[in-house]
Amino acid sequence: MTALSRWIDGRIPIEPGALRELTNEPVPYHLKRWWFALGGTPAYLFVVQVVTGVLLAFYYQPHPSTAYESVRYITEDATFGWYLRSVHKWAATLMIAAVVLHQLRVYFTGAYRKPRELNWMVGMLLLICTLMLGFTGYSLVFEQLSYWGATVSANIADTIPVVGGFLKRMLLAGEAYNERTLARFFVLHAAVLPGFLVALVAVHIALVRIQGVTELRFRDEPPQEEGKFPFIPDHIYTELIIGLVLMVLLSALATLAPATMGPLADPMTTPEEIKPEWFFYVTFRWLKLMGGTAAVLSMGLIVFVMFAWPFIDAWFRRRTPFREASVWIGVAATLLIIGMTVWEALVPH
Amino acid sequence: MNRRSQDAPADTRRRRFIVAVSRATMAAGLLGGYGVFGSVLGRFLYPAGDSGTVWQFVTPTDRLAVGDSLIYTTPAGAEVHVTRRDDTGATGDFTALSNVCPHLGCQVHWQPQHNRYFCPCHNGVFDREGRGVSGPPEGMVLSGYPIEVRGGMVFIKVEATPLVVPERRS
Ligand code: HEM
Ligand code: FES
Repeated sequence: MTALSRWIDGRIPIEPGALRELTNEPVPYHLKRWWFALGGTPAYLFVVQVVTGVLLAFYYQPHPSTAYESVRYITEDATFGWYLRSVHKWAATLMIAAVVLHQLRVYFTGAYRKPRELNWMVGMLLLICTLMLGFTGYSLVFEQLSYWGATVSANIADTIPVVGGFLKRMLLAGEAYNERTLARFFVLHAAVLPGFLVALVAVHIALVRIQGVTELRFRDEPPQEEGKFPFIPDHIYTELIIGLVLMVLLSALATLAPATMGPLADPMTTPEEIKPEWFFYVTFRWLKLMGGTAAVLSMGLIVFVMFAWPFIDAWFRRRTPFREASVWIGVAATLLIIGMTVWEALVPH
Repeated sequence: MNRRSQDAPADTRRRRFIVAVSRATMAAGLLGGYGVFGSVLGRFLYPAGDSGTVWQFVTPTDRLAVGDSLIYTTPAGAEVHVTRRDDTGATGDFTALSNVCPHLGCQVHWQPQHNRYFCPCHNGVFDREGRGVSGPPEGMVLSGYPIEVRGGMVFIKVEATPLVVPERRS
């Protein structure tokens, strides 16, 4: 023992063996395949979001009279402001994509089944939290589409029976978009939702650690002992490589397609062509097809079914002959979502 | 000796009672204290005050003939189509069509070439009376602003404060 480690051990008496046991989880071999490590990607991107987000917050001003100008300042005047803002925007896009891909992977490998039902539900909360972060972030820019997107969303909340009006007033800080609205979006975006996200990720990972990841075996895997490799350093190396690739990708995207600014919000004119961000295209199309309370209620039902899916699936497998129903339902739902997204992307109205 | 063993059960009972009471008091105190704190937080977040609407004078009744309409701009900058439909001199003669879509609150605009109001958000279409004829707001109407005729003058109730939006710096 060196003097230093003795000194530390005298103050923080942790046994190295216990620490290793706690952190160094043996990882099943299939995680060498990168698409199984997709859960680490949103986690990495979240760190990127916190770093770039905190930096943006040094200049951003959440008030209707200054928000747009402050974002313009970040984009055009602040040194490397365009880069940080664009990385923040692209990382948000990739993060949502990564969360969705991670969820698809979990779904189609049946990794949500007993005993992991609760972690699937935590994952659903993570998905919702991420989407809300995307939505509140987009609203901060105070351009036409962010303004009208926020107005429409608050009014969607309003159509929810019983609690709708309350939700809307809580979201907008009044009956309609006003002076105090942006501050709310900002605090939700930069403090409350990231806080929730961190707590949820902690629970998510603790559950993964307690339950272990679902074991799968591919035919071409080496017949390694128990089919496991150590988390440290093997999996850390994988994650480091993923991190570097993402950083390069983000920088390339930020340079080639930097974040731009649409026209300033105008509460008196709704733009001719109004679209939310791409990840809400599905819901937006649904809204146009159904309209009103029916759309909101059916959406609520869909989200509920997604939450309860592990239990619904278990019922299918126990009570019906369609043991693999989940695969076909999943394929149909995925195609439907992609179809509606593309549809919305292609037409102006 | 004897005294003690006789008193013991009463003693224990008393002690149990005191423990139970103090637990309940503690729990009630915690619940009450943090409950009040929680409700203070909730009340703080809930928007205070009313939304700041005012009655605004629009026009003397005799300046608007039956079938005519005018566009009135509110202090907040919204454009309101005020139309006279009858000649009884009562409030019911007038309508003040809001350009806020009854579906989800976007601004509709008048399209003279199609003789309709159009809402770009989800393709809502309204006829010139403000009745929703297609899209999600089908069957809804462009709601009117509250309107009142007092002493031969038309008033409507509108938002008083505009959202301060700066001009784009160029
Ligand atoms: C998972 C986490 C996050 C996601 C998905 C996300 C997403 C977004 C999006 C989509 C925008 C709009 C980008 C644009 O059009 O310019 C935005 C803006 C912003 N975000 Fe985040 N964000 C996240 C975390 C954070 C955090 C942790 C902070 C601060 C502590 C933050 C601070 C900001 C600020 C100040 C803006 C406005 C400036 C601007 O638009 O350029 N964000 N965010
Ligand atoms: S807000 Fe007008 S059609 Fe939806």
